[in-house]
Amino acid sequence: MTRLLIEPFQVGFMQRALLAVLLLGVLAGAVGVFVVLRRLAFVGDALTHTVFPGVVIAFLAGQSIFLGALAAGLASALLLTVLTANRRVTADAALAILLTSFFAVGVVLVSRLQSYTADLSAFLFGRVLAVDPSELAQTGLVAAVVLATLVVLRKELLLRAFDPDGAAAMGYRVDLLDLVLNVLIALVVVAAVKAVGTVLVIALIVVPAATARLLTDRVASMVALACGLGALGGWLGLAVSYDVSIQRGVRLASGATIVVILVGFFVVALATGPARRALARRRDSVGVRSPRGGAR
Amino acid sequence: MTETAGETGTQALVLRQAAVAYDRTPVLEGIDGVVEAGESVALIGPNGAGKSTLLKAILGLVPVVRGSITVLGGPPAAARRQVAYVPQADTLDAEFPVTAGQVALMGRYPHVGWVRRPGRADRLAAAAALEEVGLADHARERFGTLSGGQRQRVLLARAIAQQARLLLLDEPFNGIDAASEELLLAALRRLRGTGAAVVVSTHDLALAHLFCDEVCLLNRHQFGFGPVATTLTPELLRATYGGHALQLRGDSVILAQP
Repeated sequence: MTRLLIEPFQVGFMQRALLAVLLLGVLAGAVGVFVVLRRLAFVGDALTHTVFPGVVIAFLAGQSIFLGALAAGLASALLLTVLTANRRVTADAALAILLTSFFAVGVVLVSRLQSYTADLSAFLFGRVLAVDPSELAQTGLVAAVVLATLVVLRKELLLRAFDPDGAAAMGYRVDLLDLVLNVLIALVVVAAVKAVGTVLVIALIVVPAATARLLTDRVASMVALACGLGALGGWLGLAVSYDVSIQRGVRLASGATIVVILVGFFVVALATGPARRALARRRDSVGVRSPRGGAR
Repeated sequence: MTETAGETGTQALVLRQAAVAYDRTPVLEGIDGVVEAGESVALIGPNGAGKSTLLKAILGLVPVVRGSITVLGGPPAAARRQVAYVPQADTLDAEFPVTAGQVALMGRYPHVGWVRRPGRADRLAAAAALEEVGLADHARERFGTLSGGQRQRVLLARAIAQQARLLLLDEPFNGIDAASEELLLAALRRLRGTGAAVVVSTHDLALAHLFCDEVCLLNRHQFGFGPVATTLTPELLRATYGGHALQLRGDSVILAQP
């Protein structure tokens, strides 16, 4: 067990990779809770694709990939908020158009490169083992900004997710809150570009939060669980992909291994659901609780 | 603490030949009437008549293009903190992981303000509000697991926790059990006793007779606004609903009190 979980992380690049996936796991897990509660998984997916051309353009221009992703992410978050608020274009059509058009632009640009396939796969699926200290610092910075925003706005975002009309009636600007969440999703994608690429990051956002939703009925516990599961999945995924690659000589892509493990958590939570609920019911009937349904 | 300068009288809501529009073409016109503090008015009209739009206009969420709407002495948007909107319970996500207590606590958010967390006084106010609608024992249960009537009562508790002086209820009695309806009405009567005004959109004419002082008959424009006894007449109702069938629950009520 130690060989699998601890030993791989004695070399520098593996330590950086571990730090990156732990940060991303916590970050994506926390934002993912709001994505799942708002049923925005498809919006998140669209944002992961719209960041892609920014990455490519920055790479072609010799600029920082982080800044390219950031610009594209913010622009698409804004565009998405405006488009989905438009009554004449249905939200799903707006998303599909935005997703495919941005993504196509990215692919067109990448296809001009000599090393087309290798670069494309790096952008789409990331190279977590090649994360350098400055990229790690960028991820840390983004994580700090995103998590601080979530802490500050949690009750407003929660109210908006539960009852948008009620939030507007209380005087909250629902469109601004939507823009904030879209920007947060885009920032997670930006932070994850190098480590897991633009495509797989949606799994990091949605899967741990969806798993957490199966395990608890409380938002606070859901956030804690989603962050924990995201980080745990990152750690296990890295360890397993390293172990299999080194010990068995079979190359496993780290990012994809992480996603497979996260989905594994989800399947376990889903499959054990009936048993867990039965157990909870038994605890309920044994324990002393206030009488239920007294008013009916 | 939150009183506005122009707030002198007891008028909770003043509508003056108001026309309301999403874009350019008004969806509602000629709305004219006054709701005093402690009074209750029923908005009555067929589906699509503009009842929900009028509620949104009173909240300042849909623009008034002609005439005026004055809420608690000021423009609608300025009064939101003291105006509570109670949506139909079944329009909310029943899978959402919040407890009844947390929903009631949301009524405190406008008072708590940005960034800060609700304090002990807010929690006490939310708990008292749940007690008021007979759901004190259900505070820790998930909102979605409650019955439709109980959920509607939780939403009223949220409005009570907000300590609003004007309550806007959108079809609160649709498909709820008799016991919940009684508890809702009792809580609303107590609120009126404390000086809160209540605007309720409903299809239920019997309920308008039972609970409201006044009715506003609506279908794109106003067909009548006044005391229940003189406004809820078969003639005006027929005019309001046109050829459409009336949704009555005890149609003898109208005929018995023309």
